[in-house]
Amino acid sequence: MIKFLIYNEFQKIFYRKRTYIGFILIAILIPFIVGAIDNGGNMLEKSIYGQLSDSFFFVGSLINGYLATYIIIAVLITHMPFLSTIIAADIVSGEYSKGTFRLYLSRPIPRSKILLSKLIIVYLYTILLMAFFIGYSLLISVVWLGTGELAVFHMGLLFLSEDDALVRFFIAFLTSTVVMLTVSSLCFYISTISKNSVTPIIITISTVFVGTAISIIPIEFFKIINPYLFTGYINSYLSAFHDPIPYDAILRLLLICILWTGAFLTFAFNHFIKKDITD
Amino acid sequence: MKKNDLIKLNNVGKTFGKSKALNEVSFSIPKKSIFGLLGPNGSGKSTLMRILSGLIIKWDGEIFFENQNIKLNQKHFLKRCGFLIENPTFYEYLTAHQNLSLLARLSSCSDHSIASVLADVDLVEDADRKVGDFSYGMKQRLGIAQAILHNPDILFLDEPNNGLDPIGIQEMNKTILKLHEKGKTICVSTHILGDVEELCSDVVILKEGKLIHSSSMEFLIDQSEEFVIRSKEIESISLKLTRSNNCKIKSLEKEKLIIKTKLDIHSINQLLPKNSVVRSISKEPNLADLFK
Repeated sequence: MIKFLIYNEFQKIFYRKRTYIGFILIAILIPFIVGAIDNGGNMLEKSIYGQLSDSFFFVGSLINGYLATYIIIAVLITHMPFLSTIIAADIVSGEYSKGTFRLYLSRPIPRSKILLSKLIIVYLYTILLMAFFIGYSLLISVVWLGTGELAVFHMGLLFLSEDDALVRFFIAFLTSTVVMLTVSSLCFYISTISKNSVTPIIITISTVFVGTAISIIPIEFFKIINPYLFTGYINSYLSAFHDPIPYDAILRLLLICILWTGAFLTFAFNHFIKKDITD
Repeated sequence: MKKNDLIKLNNVGKTFGKSKALNEVSFSIPKKSIFGLLGPNGSGKSTLMRILSGLIIKWDGEIFFENQNIKLNQKHFLKRCGFLIENPTFYEYLTAHQNLSLLARLSSCSDHSIASVLADVDLVEDADRKVGDFSYGMKQRLGIAQAILHNPDILFLDEPNNGLDPIGIQEMNKTILKLHEKGKTICVSTHILGDVEELCSDVVILKEGKLIHSSSMEFLIDQSEEFVIRSKEIESISLKLTRSNNCKIKSLEKEKLIIKTKLDIHSINQLLPKNSVVRSISKEPNLADLFK
């Protein structure tokens, strides 16, 4: 039965225009950024080298597809929660507000299965969106600018081997997707308690903003709580570009995100299964 | 529970905050009846429909379906029921066929049953149109289609004539009667007296969450008003009225007919040819009086 429910949810989002907003935005935006990087390469190189250029003579160019992808991720990752909540925000609350649950929930199917099918679709959408974001960035950047060593800032200027780059981008995809799935889980939970689809987006994005502020503002109390907040890990994709890769930090990220996700889903299922549908 | 009863409600209640939407309501729905759930807005009809459909989870009392408590076996109950709760709501960006396909998958129905129910509600030609482009009446008919998709034994229709124009109401009533002829038990909730009078064989009246009347239409008709009809086409009129659930012929003479009915004089007049005269000869409380 669950596969039919998932198919139903897939059909519901497949025919909706808003499903494609995130993908279309990314598809349009990334070639622009890659083009801009290509155009303003000299300026970018100068800012990367900084004072080193006074003492060293550099041959070749740092600007390549990998560096461009790294920059694109750095610029856009904090905006991805907006796009990843598009489906999660509406998937339950939209059915309350439009009244379609009156048709759907009066069938002999356990509510837990219906909610599970919706959750699976939300997760698939989030994973697909993140894969498209990073995969498409890599594709456009590499086709446009070619490949080469990846220069990043980590305890100074760090040059990562061209051979490692794809593995590191894959790890960056995994870590950022885990955080984005937690963001989607929060939005999904709010969607089960809200009767419109705007509230879940507002609450989720506000939470991400506040969490990000906590991770930036240098106050002792914030420093203590930040490691326990999933919002503190939105930029954790950066750890994939450290040398060596800090797997213990990635494991901690996984643990914190899984705990938060578990809490959001427990609240969501508990609420939805007991909820009276009165609209 | 009587042998002929399909569903029995025992002290069913529902409270929202401090207000009691349903207050210890008890009645039975006989098999193969068209059962009218009548009451003004806010009387608890929709709450009761939502309890039966599983949309409302927390409620008091007991409901038995074929002697089984539905709280203990709700899946079995829902499999045998079809619901149209309030106004029709569909995924408007999907076609009628796609909407029914979604629901058919939940009930393990075939594509054949989709085609069949679309034919039943006269929407075959509109199957591939988006529901967003449908008129209200078409949506209401699609609502009936989704309710009968899995061939349920009992149908719960919450205000099926709400928002329909007179022609739409006529079509909807015809559809309900057609389904009843196919052997389905139908429970219709409405606040329109005419719907009950025209369709129902049994009726309960709710007011402010309480049950204030429960009986068969036959019983109501026995206590109802008598009319004398004079016409040159008295035989065909008699035949027409006999077919209706809501009229009892008391006597038939040349050009004169005496009937007992819960219909009001205006409704009777609409059923008669132009050259007929109808006059009330008694006045006892009718449905409208009970409703008040």
